[in-house]
Amino acid sequence: MRFILKTHYQQDIDVFKHNGQRFWFGLLALLVIVAPLFIDTFYLGELSLVYIYAIAGIGLMLLVGHTGLVSLGHAAFLAIGAYAHAWFIGKGWPLPLSILLAGLLSAAAGAMVGRPTLRMTGIYLAIATLAFAHIVEQIIAHWEPVTGGFRGQLVPDAVFMGFDLSRGIPFYYLCLFVVVLCLLAALNLLRSPTGRSMVAIRDSEISAQSMGIDLARTKTIAFAVSAGFTGVAGALFAHKLGYLAPDAFTMLTSIQLLLMVVVGGLGSMHGVFYGAIFIVVLPQFIAIMRDTLPTAIGQLPGLEPGLFGLILVLFLIFEPLGIYGRWLKVKQFFDEFPLYRKATHKRQKSYLRTERLR
Amino acid sequence: MSALLSAKNLSLSFGGVHAVRDISFDVEQGEVFSIIGPNGAGKTSIFNLISRLYNADSGDIVFAGESIISQPAHRIASLGIARTFQNTELFEHETVLNNMLIGRHVHRCSNLFSELLFLHSVRKQELEFRRIVEDVIDLLDLQSHRNQVIGSLPYGVRKMVEVARALCIQPKLLLLDEPSSGLNPEETEDVSFWIEDISRDYGATIIMVEHDMNLVSRSSDRVLAIADGAFVALGTPSEIQNHPDVQRAYLGD
Ligand SMILES: Nc1ncnc2c1ncn2[C@@H]1O[C@H](COP(=O)(O)OP(=O)(O)OP(=O)(O)O)[C@@H](O)[C@H]1O
Ligand SMILES: [Mg+2]
Repeated sequence: MRFILKTHYQQDIDVFKHNGQRFWFGLLALLVIVAPLFIDTFYLGELSLVYIYAIAGIGLMLLVGHTGLVSLGHAAFLAIGAYAHAWFIGKGWPLPLSILLAGLLSAAAGAMVGRPTLRMTGIYLAIATLAFAHIVEQIIAHWEPVTGGFRGQLVPDAVFMGFDLSRGIPFYYLCLFVVVLCLLAALNLLRSPTGRSMVAIRDSEISAQSMGIDLARTKTIAFAVSAGFTGVAGALFAHKLGYLAPDAFTMLTSIQLLLMVVVGGLGSMHGVFYGAIFIVVLPQFIAIMRDTLPTAIGQLPGLEPGLFGLILVLFLIFEPLGIYGRWLKVKQFFDEFPLYRKATHKRQKSYLRTERLR
Repeated sequence: MSALLSAKNLSLSFGGVHAVRDISFDVEQGEVFSIIGPNGAGKTSIFNLISRLYNADSGDIVFAGESIISQPAHRIASLGIARTFQNTELFEHETVLNNMLIGRHVHRCSNLFSELLFLHSVRKQELEFRRIVEDVIDLLDLQSHRNQVIGSLPYGVRKMVEVARALCIQPKLLLLDEPSSGLNPEETEDVSFWIEDISRDYGATIIMVEHDMNLVSRSSDRVLAIADGAFVALGTPSEIQNHPDVQRAYLGD
């Protein structure tokens, strides 16, 4: 068994709770920093993509996993971030400012969606966000002077202080840097009053209200923050794609993002990263499968979204706490070695409530 | 001295059910005021009216000289009214500590941006919050459950955590909805002790809904009896226990 002796409140507040954590995360940090020396360009690109999805995932996790609000329209925020960023750097604005503005613009859009949908929960909210995403898709397709319409547009290079950061190793480090910043910001939020009030709303709205939490305000903030992070991810995603067209931000993308947070494990920032790896690896896996399966099944047009949906449902039913939840159980088994009981996790249930009647 | 809280001619109905009919009462600063009545009498409804979860059909509620009848529900806590729920409404997936920290929500000074950056002021505020929370933990003997998740706690402890969370608001008025329901006799015994502690150490006025007449007579200064949403009697515990109308309300005619 492991016991952690706490001697000061700071230990409750700090991001790393004990030296063991410091060691493992330090090692991980070292690994991802030296990664470009060891892995080839393709895999480095995939790893950059993991970081980009993780940034969007951080945003979506705060909304779905921590506030308990479902969004089926986060591709829209990814798109807003991507197009805004492309526009800003096209106008010659500095890279960091452009990424920040892309995030802020997306956050503003998030607040706009958050506001009217406050009274909705569960399936109704999911549909409203879906509708919003559709509207954004249409705007992108038809606002040609800015977005390039259906033809799309080339994304200008990300040049910062004379360096081109838009591909390869420099792009990898850019993504790594941004994902670390976003993660820290999210963790900060979660150990502050606003983060706690989001979680309170997820667990009991009535009780949250009676503790002085303004539901409307907190939900709007949750939407805005969530959209903001996703917008920043969109800015980086634009460079990853190189060419922006509406078909990169469809409902499938939204489902993919939702899949990421559910599979990773709702309510945990670790889960975001497991989920991000999962959705980057999954399409590769599906591609390999297509080749090996008989043509009739392998070439089925709806195979990808179908599989996404299936995996989503399976996780919700059998492992609602996702990969991270599974990991926690394994860890707990070793931490409490002789004492672990199978029933320890009997009570766990999903955070995703389709309906809350009170 | 004027009353801390006064309910004036409160009425509330759900469709055909009159949950509260023309109820009026005053609660003085510093007293322990109990509301009793048979099941479905409308006791919880009165609490829900005070915490603004329900809208009254008519009547007024004045707290500390101000009408709160049209305040939004989330403003009530910051005015200094905290409550517990009959069947506990805790944040299930969070630890006892985090549940109690929510109680400090109304006292926060940080904003979104300082929190995203976790500025020094936010860290200081967190430490301050924890000091206050720790005092409450000491008062209610919750040390051993501090870092446990609510979902894993027995019912009796959850009830205590809910009281603790409400106390973290440092309220002027504390509403306790059946604090002893679901507790064993020993725990019920304890309830009267901590009620005494709370009203002494925190100077909080307490309104309590309770079925256990022993606890009521031991702890409360005055008792309001209601039945079918309507006023029956108001007086000291012994007056109420021997009141013919109260006995009739409980036993039926
Ligand atoms: N939200 C609601 N919708 C419809 N009817 C309600 C609602 N809340 C309360 N009632 C009704 O109002 C009446 C009073 O309910 P209330 O919960 O206030 O009783 P109570 O005195 O707290 O009873 P108990 O001792 O069982 O807790 C009951 O008849 C109940 O069915
Ligand atoms: Mg009741």
